[in-house]
Amino acid sequence: MSLNITVNGTSRTVNAEPLTPLLHVLREELDVLSPKAGCQNGGCGTCTVLVDGEPRRSCLIPISAVEGAEIRTVEGLAPPGQLSTLQEAWIHHYAAQCGFCTSGFLMAATAYLENGGSDDHAEIATALGGHVCRCTGYVKILDAISAAARGDSFDLTTTAAGLRTTIKGVDQ
Amino acid sequence: MAMHRGRGIAAIEYPTGMNQNGDPSQAWIKLKMDGRVDVFAGTVDIGQGSKTVHSQIVADTLGVPMDWVTMDTSNTDSSAFCMGTFASRGTFIGGNAVRLAAEKVRSRILEIGGELLEIDPGDLEIIDGEVIAKGSPDKKIGVGDIAGAATFVKGELISGQGTALKDYATLDPETGAVTIPPHSAISYAACAVEVEVDEETGDVRVIKMSQVYDVGCAINPTMVEGQIEGGAMQGLGLGLLENCYPYYPSNDHRGGQFGSYLAPSMEDLPELECIILENPSADGPFGAKAIGEMANNAQPPAIASAIYDAVGVWVTELPITPEKVLRALEAKAAGIPESVTTGKVVRYDEALSITSHQSADAAVTFAV
Ligand code: FES
Ligand code: FES
Repeated sequence: MSLNITVNGTSRTVNAEPLTPLLHVLREELDVLSPKAGCQNGGCGTCTVLVDGEPRRSCLIPISAVEGAEIRTVEGLAPPGQLSTLQEAWIHHYAAQCGFCTSGFLMAATAYLENGGSDDHAEIATALGGHVCRCTGYVKILDAISAAARGDSFDLTTTAAGLRTTIKGVDQ
Repeated sequence: MAMHRGRGIAAIEYPTGMNQNGDPSQAWIKLKMDGRVDVFAGTVDIGQGSKTVHSQIVADTLGVPMDWVTMDTSNTDSSAFCMGTFASRGTFIGGNAVRLAAEKVRSRILEIGGELLEIDPGDLEIIDGEVIAKGSPDKKIGVGDIAGAATFVKGELISGQGTALKDYATLDPETGAVTIPPHSAISYAACAVEVEVDEETGDVRVIKMSQVYDVGCAINPTMVEGQIEGGAMQGLGLGLLENCYPYYPSNDHRGGQFGSYLAPSMEDLPELECIILENPSADGPFGAKAIGEMANNAQPPAIASAIYDAVGVWVTELPITPEKVLRALEAKAAGIPESVTTGKVVRYDEALSITSHQSADAAVTFAV
């Protein structure tokens, strides 16, 4: 079947079987690669996109259920070449290691912040508890989201060396 | 219903870096005419941050700003060889490879800089991308200008390779004496946890976890913290939630979904405290040891001992599920002696001990 969805502000026409998961349409037909295919059965959150502003697991949503909907992914968080405050916070707080969970977390956290979420770690954990991250232990993810909730600003040029600009004990 | 709190501690010793030797990592560095530095190495960054850490090592060894360093790990076929990203060897072995390569580039920069400035290379230093005469800072030349002079005047590409390799560990076949000792950096860590055990349901929650890790030198402290925090949650999962037995590593009987294989989520995160100790190794880059794989070892035993402290039962099989806690409590109430699993017996043998071969005077020198 042929149907219309809006992806990051652009209207797209797709041809797909009605039960094709939105995740597959995004990745394979529309080349929108930020949503990741993790478990593909609703358990991990890596595929999360915003459907009309609400975080949804795109692996579980048949394309026919989102006809005419407004889909947002990481590609649409900021204009090309720019980053949203949340993305800057992610970099500044080292909230990604392998990065596989990152897209899903970013979209769910974006919705959390747009709905007026606070910087309280317990509140964030309740909102994002269904997202699995294997690498970070969640600490730096919580730090990043609460920094963005507070509206902190970041100087990313000082981020790279991890708080240590020269390695101690260097004998030059 | 009664909730009980308890505390437990566990300490580990961990040989970081591949420790039977014979596993090289290589790096190749070239200097461009704008002073920028390209590093080619096969160390794969899987999120642990080796690209950043290697770039820091190169920048600090050369004396150039870190953002002048580009590390290309995009192709392990065309890059210099690396045995792999495993056994917590990325910083310890791969880091030494880039350090050795950078040292060669550094001495060539100083030699050519010395010729151009007509100053002995020994009297020069490199600071922030400039070769400067010690004591007379107005006599200086940019690293990029040196690369330009090398290219257009001397017909030379300033580059350097580094290989971190130690011979395979061997014993004397006659006497059994160690002829080439195994090679690794021994790291130490401890984890203390506080748990809350629900006597009625057997549910265990970790309330607080404090961890101390000796990493030799935290080249990138934030990334070390990231490894510790991530490892802590993996250790919490191993202690309480995750079960891949009975036929590990075969996944035949493992939960195939997150509903049946429980990985810790944000809501399981206890109050976490990380303390980094820097007790330098004899032969890691800048005294670094490693963090990597040791980060998820101490939590399960610490949790088990905290549960004992809370409710007086030892659960000797992981993960410590509510069912196992309840069964142990029932057995205790019925006066049945606890099942005790004895681990493998470890004998300490002075002659075979790695530490006795890793005294400061036996510091490893890499083939160059
Ligand atoms: S891939 Fe959709 S929830 Fe895991
Ligand atoms: S950063 Fe690797 S899973 Fe989250």
